[in-house]
Amino acid sequence: MKTGLWFKAAAVVIMVGLAALPASADSLAAFKGQKGEVRISGGTAHIPVMEEAAKRIRTANPDVQISIAGGGSGVGIKQAGEGLVDIGNSGRKPTDEEVSKYGLKVFRWALDGVGIVVHPDNPVQSLGKDRLKQIYAGTIDNWKALGGPDKAINLYTRDEASGTRDVFWSKALDKGEIHARANVVPSNGAMKTAVANDPYAIGYVSVGHIDATVAPVALDGVVPTIETVKSGAYPVSRGLFSLTKGEPQGLARWFIDYLFSPAGHEIIADKGFIPVD
Amino acid sequence: MKQPPLDAVVRLASWGSTLLLLSLVATVIGFLAFKGAGSFSLELVFGDTPPLEALLLRRPVFGGLLPAIVGTVSLVVLAISLAVPLGLAAGIYMAEYGRGRIQQALGLFFDILAGVPSIVVGLFGFSVAVFLHRHFGGRIYPCLLISALSLAFLVLPYLIRTTQNALEALPEAVRLTAPALGATRLQNIRFVLLPRALPGILSGVILAIGRCAEDTAVIMLTGVVASAGLPRSLFSAYEALPFYIYYISSQYRDPAELATGYAAALILLAICAMLFAAAALIRQRLGARSHQRL
Amino acid sequence: MDGERLAQKAFLLAAVLSASVTVLLLAFMVILGLPLFQGGLVFRILTAPWLPGRQLFGIWPMIVGTLAIAALALAVAFPLSLGVSSLIAVVAPGRIARLVKSAVAFMTGIPTVVYGFVGVFLLVPLVRETFARGSGLCVLTAGLVLGILVAPTMILFFSDALARVPRSDRIAAEALGATPAQVLIYVLIPGAWRGIVTGLVLAAGRAVGDTLLALMLAGNAAQVPGGVLDSARTLTAHIALVIASDFDSLEFKTLFACGILLYAFTAAATLAVRRLAGKEGPAR
Repeated sequence: MKTGLWFKAAAVVIMVGLAALPASADSLAAFKGQKGEVRISGGTAHIPVMEEAAKRIRTANPDVQISIAGGGSGVGIKQAGEGLVDIGNSGRKPTDEEVSKYGLKVFRWALDGVGIVVHPDNPVQSLGKDRLKQIYAGTIDNWKALGGPDKAINLYTRDEASGTRDVFWSKALDKGEIHARANVVPSNGAMKTAVANDPYAIGYVSVGHIDATVAPVALDGVVPTIETVKSGAYPVSRGLFSLTKGEPQGLARWFIDYLFSPAGHEIIADKGFIPVD
Repeated sequence: MKQPPLDAVVRLASWGSTLLLLSLVATVIGFLAFKGAGSFSLELVFGDTPPLEALLLRRPVFGGLLPAIVGTVSLVVLAISLAVPLGLAAGIYMAEYGRGRIQQALGLFFDILAGVPSIVVGLFGFSVAVFLHRHFGGRIYPCLLISALSLAFLVLPYLIRTTQNALEALPEAVRLTAPALGATRLQNIRFVLLPRALPGILSGVILAIGRCAEDTAVIMLTGVVASAGLPRSLFSAYEALPFYIYYISSQYRDPAELATGYAAALILLAICAMLFAAAALIRQRLGARSHQRL
Repeated sequence: MDGERLAQKAFLLAAVLSASVTVLLLAFMVILGLPLFQGGLVFRILTAPWLPGRQLFGIWPMIVGTLAIAALALAVAFPLSLGVSSLIAVVAPGRIARLVKSAVAFMTGIPTVVYGFVGVFLLVPLVRETFARGSGLCVLTAGLVLGILVAPTMILFFSDALARVPRSDRIAAEALGATPAQVLIYVLIPGAWRGIVTGLVLAAGRAVGDTLLALMLAGNAAQVPGGVLDSARTLTAHIALVIASDFDSLEFKTLFACGILLYAFTAAATLAVRRLAGKEGPAR
């Protein structure tokens, strides 16, 4: 009896060890000897994480091809659903309708926020929600009204496929109007670049993308940072999702597993997001 | 003698607009050269991968232009090899066989096709890819092949017209000699007319290559992506130089990445300039030869 | 001679196949956009604003945006091109003319994306600072760069047309004591009007069909621009931006309306050019 118990215990230890091994020691091992292509598209906030993960996977195994396209969350959801890509990324939670229509499997691997940003030289670095809504509705159209220079406010927004836009629109603007005058940019990267280059711009971008080239604007006194998103103090937060049509198979499965591995978490945190399990 | 004011105005206006235009072009090129020249290095092309390893396909390249350059080259080769046989054959028909109404109608179609905006051709390519994906077991995606096919459509009318023009420009004497000696029509085309028209056709092909290399609108709808590595098959997504330039212009992450954008623009400009020069050289030779004949 | 007949058939087949691409393009768009043509929907789409939040998918703002940017480009390029081609034809013939002409021909080989790239980093900040209004991404910026893009097309056509005016007309005018400028204005330009209009129409086709410059430089706001410093979106840029939406949605279907409009416009331009050029068709 006693030996039996020991035996069982040892077996459990070994099994746990084996199960933990691919995840902890080397989650890249799954890709060993594999060939083929993983096609990824959609959410543009995700791209830095995708590129870094692809780089590490392909360094370990050059026979695996990983293509990464942007387009926005709408694209990620549609193309994954249509089977045009293996993994579709989204910066908003797909609707129940989308999930059931396409039979999507949803993986939430990071927490992110959508922060309001202006040019670093702009003295206006704090806004109330009402003011923000008025700015985007076009009723406040000069920085002077907000204590800034006497310059027209240049609105920047994203195209309709954007999950970042969707989250910003519903959580920061409470689904208020976005004036048609707003310049439309196609990605988080493009938004950051546009605002960094335009002294009179206001835009919104994934918190993970905020760096020294743009200034985050406090919303109702809370500055959008990874800490305030994590603590829940900053309200405009969202998950970053990867979607597959049905259970992911083969390379797509391992790619998603890799995002949830310690190495994946390290990449996610390094790119400015909060990894979640 | 005092010049009449009208002459002065015309002189001023024409010199003024010429200098303005040329200085604008010089500004474009100079700006790129100034900003981009500094970032030329092996690292620009190969990233942090040793060049030899990358070229032998032993290790993938990250952060370098190699995948985009190889992508553009494969795209061009593929598109041109799809378009040239068809374009040449159709051009031969137009010059040597087509007569009357049919030839005119065909010519109308080619002219319309030549005017169709590339984004419309891209929309067509994308729709075809989605259509094929839905109806043929989901194995076709927007990919290298779809892009190449769309680009082939884009340059097809151009190839047809240059072939036709090159053949029609041949002097009657050349055209009639071989048949007089008993050659058939096909023999005449194959052994006399085509070889004589080759420089004209070739310069058209080279300019078509340039168009395939620079086009961005078609490929951005039909399979080009921001990051894919070297293309491995006709059915994979790929990177391309013009798209890379577009992509970087709107979403570079740091000055170093922006610098690669300038360098990529400079490389693409150089490629197109060389193609243009090659085509011009061939044309010039052609011109010189036809002068000799006179 | 069976090989002969076979070859002839093959060449004909190639020509017909190539021509069918022209039809195929249009047919595909019409079939995929078919739901648009039911119940007058197409009229609503052509005239309504683009407000996806309110389920309004009209492309009127994009039509206006396209015309505004193309018109500005032509307005910039036309006088410039007339000036350059006058220089080539009259003011400085000979070596300088040949040099200028090769430079202009070389311009046709400069990739559009290169113009766009330089526009983003050179002209956009300049326009923003100079006019102190707006972001610099606007009709003006896109129109100016597009003007440079289409100018070579015009110049090459204009200078060819000026050169084709019969020498006798020119000599007659000169014999009457006309100065070169008078010859240009009273003889050459009227004599070359067909070629000039042809060049203008071709350039208009190119300007309307260009995607990248508007996409990179015009700001892409889906509104009817109220002035040249306003952000605008062209039909072509609209296709590039909305291609990402659901294939079955009305939103996506409107792309085919854009595509058909662009096709119709450029086809009409081609027909006009062919008519102008007489029966032989334009030399491309």
